[in-house]
Amino acid sequence: MPVAVQLTYAMAKELGAQRLEFEGAQTVADVLRMTRERFAGAPARYDELTRVAAVAVNGVLVNYQRGMKTPVRDGDTVAFVKAAAGG
Amino acid sequence: MIKGYAGRVLEVDLRARSFFFAPLDEETARLYIGGKGYGTRLLYDRTPAGIDPLGPENLLIFATGPLNGSVAPQSNRFAVICKSPLTGGIGNATCGGSFALGMKKAGIDVLIVKDRAERPLRLEIDGDRDAVEFLDAGDLWGKGTYATQKLLSRKHQHAVIGPAGENLVLFAGIVSNERIAGRTGVGAVMGSKLLKAVSVRGSRKLDMEDPEKFKAYTKEVRKLFEDHPVLGESMRRFGTGGIVNTTNGRNILPTRNFQKGHFERAMDLSGEFLEDHGLKGVKTSCIHCPVTCGRDVEVEGVGVVKGPEYETLALMGSNLEIGDIKKVAEWNYHADDLGMDTISLGATLSFAMELVERGMLDANLHFGEQAGVTELIQDIGHRRGLGAELADGTKRLAAKYGGSEFAMHVKGLELSAYDPRGSFAQGVEYATTNRGGCHVQGASMYMESVGPLTINPQNLKLKADIPIMQQNIACAINSMVLCIFTTYGMIPKAVHEMNPSSFKYRALAFAFENLPGALLRGAMGIKGKPMLWFEKWLTYITGTTFSSGHLQEIGARIFNLERMYNLREGLTSADDTLPPRILHESTFPGMDSGHPLHLLLPSYYKKRGWSADGVPLRRTLERLQVRV
Ligand code: SF4
Repeated sequence: MPVAVQLTYAMAKELGAQRLEFEGAQTVADVLRMTRERFAGAPARYDELTRVAAVAVNGVLVNYQRGMKTPVRDGDTVAFVKAAAGG
Repeated sequence: MIKGYAGRVLEVDLRARSFFFAPLDEETARLYIGGKGYGTRLLYDRTPAGIDPLGPENLLIFATGPLNGSVAPQSNRFAVICKSPLTGGIGNATCGGSFALGMKKAGIDVLIVKDRAERPLRLEIDGDRDAVEFLDAGDLWGKGTYATQKLLSRKHQHAVIGPAGENLVLFAGIVSNERIAGRTGVGAVMGSKLLKAVSVRGSRKLDMEDPEKFKAYTKEVRKLFEDHPVLGESMRRFGTGGIVNTTNGRNILPTRNFQKGHFERAMDLSGEFLEDHGLKGVKTSCIHCPVTCGRDVEVEGVGVVKGPEYETLALMGSNLEIGDIKKVAEWNYHADDLGMDTISLGATLSFAMELVERGMLDANLHFGEQAGVTELIQDIGHRRGLGAELADGTKRLAAKYGGSEFAMHVKGLELSAYDPRGSFAQGVEYATTNRGGCHVQGASMYMESVGPLTINPQNLKLKADIPIMQQNIACAINSMVLCIFTTYGMIPKAVHEMNPSSFKYRALAFAFENLPGALLRGAMGIKGKPMLWFEKWLTYITGTTFSSGHLQEIGARIFNLERMYNLREGLTSADDTLPPRILHESTFPGMDSGHPLHLLLPSYYKKRGWSADGVPLRRTLERLQVRV
């Protein structure tokens, strides 16, 4: 099973896909690099859309794991998460 | 009379068809502000222990506070207080719409409804003439909340029930315009009194201490709200549904009756999706609120209806494994029209689906399938067939069919849409909140898992402190009566604009998380100058200084009084718990159990000034001036 990526809505709209899947990623840094590459020709757009997004692996922010070095395994979900308020 | 109050309590006896106006008790207003606080004090003092919540002895109290009737954003809400038929403890709910404004214009701070009518009635109150009419409501009985409000006078502001309240559905609510006082079954209490609607009118103006300062400052706050990333941007654009992708990413979006925290089709339920696909262009708002978090959507066969809130999207969407936002909007419309809380409704439906899945209940009701749900919602509202059993909520359904280990409620109130296994402070809040498993009596999750500056939500640091501060401030806010969403504005724009991977952000989060809890609570408790907008509004309106410290103290007083009410009604520390699924089943890889409540509850009790078995100590009650 590949690593799945849950995008923010704006990223999904830009890429025309709700989720991405990658084979061969070892760390969160790999997943982010692969995601950025999907914004072919517009990496600046990736930077803009992810500027205030945190990254979580299976729901846990990488800030509380090993940051960009957090390992990922097949079947994991890496999510871009924006702060939000609901009720 | 203190400025900001109308100065009057209207007491209505439905059986005797009599009423009188009494002066508002200034001492109670000073200690409890108004709204939920004032109403809880009244309920405690005026009802004996052990009454039947659906019997004539229960009081139904509508209460406003000093901010109501002003033009302050988010300030047109009223509180309803009674003994809850769902939990047997304190019942309360707040509601936007226009009824709070109507009450204040009629010169009424608090309306107490006593006893039970002999046949369906409605009340029409004219505050200018000091008149209350007891009108026959036989022609309205059985009608939905929308139709009922359409048939009532346009000159009045209304609070009504639908068939669910009439039929004593234990999670029925009270509706004003398109908003609902949803939780704890306040609508069933109104139905038990055979009271279909309360309509108020009047032309009084709010008398405030410093109207000039209030006006100038409110203008500033409007600007602040407009520029704020949450109040002015995300909630305005996406409504509360703008959080769906966030809770999904954090693995705390209830899915399949809380079996999981992640739903594959979550994006289709999000506020962003709604903006792109369903919004009619009309955003709706409570009176004077620039946030406009409501939105209309077009539903085939129904028309243009109120769009669902986050809680509904989660409890009636992902939690049932339904990813069709239009269908959820349709169910939301039916629930509102019947006058039912969609949180309890959704959780009860998901519980029933799991019972069916496990072969414990024979019904055509399945996760991921829409078939039969619309009809079942109608049956619940009218108490027909299986619907009559679901109308009693999850706890009672579990008592009959089994499955208490996956019955998702606390104290009988169904859990809201933030799975506490990924939000430990929120779990402590659910377990200890006096009305049961609810998120808007503190919203701790905003400080730890979904807000702009969050701490690690899955360790023990601050997880007993955050709920205390948040519950206190929420008690105060629900007594002003202000919308709880105002607290989202407390974190400034600059923090929202930080990159979570940056050193600055991580340093700030680290510093926050490692603050000693006592220091944090101490800082919040300092009585000084008013700093935040609601503190300043209260100060300018009433002429009394309110700061964070004052509000923490008043909030703690209200919270402890609610606690004493619950203890009096037979609840104990054993009720301060979470569903077994939350305590014992993990939804996070590498986590071998669920929420560590047992490690946090003793510390919470101690910090509250309670005994080891959760009873407020005498010195705590004395310090807070809680008379019991
Ligand atoms: S934020 Fe939303 S719910 Fe709160 S007062 Fe404004 S419109 Fe009403």
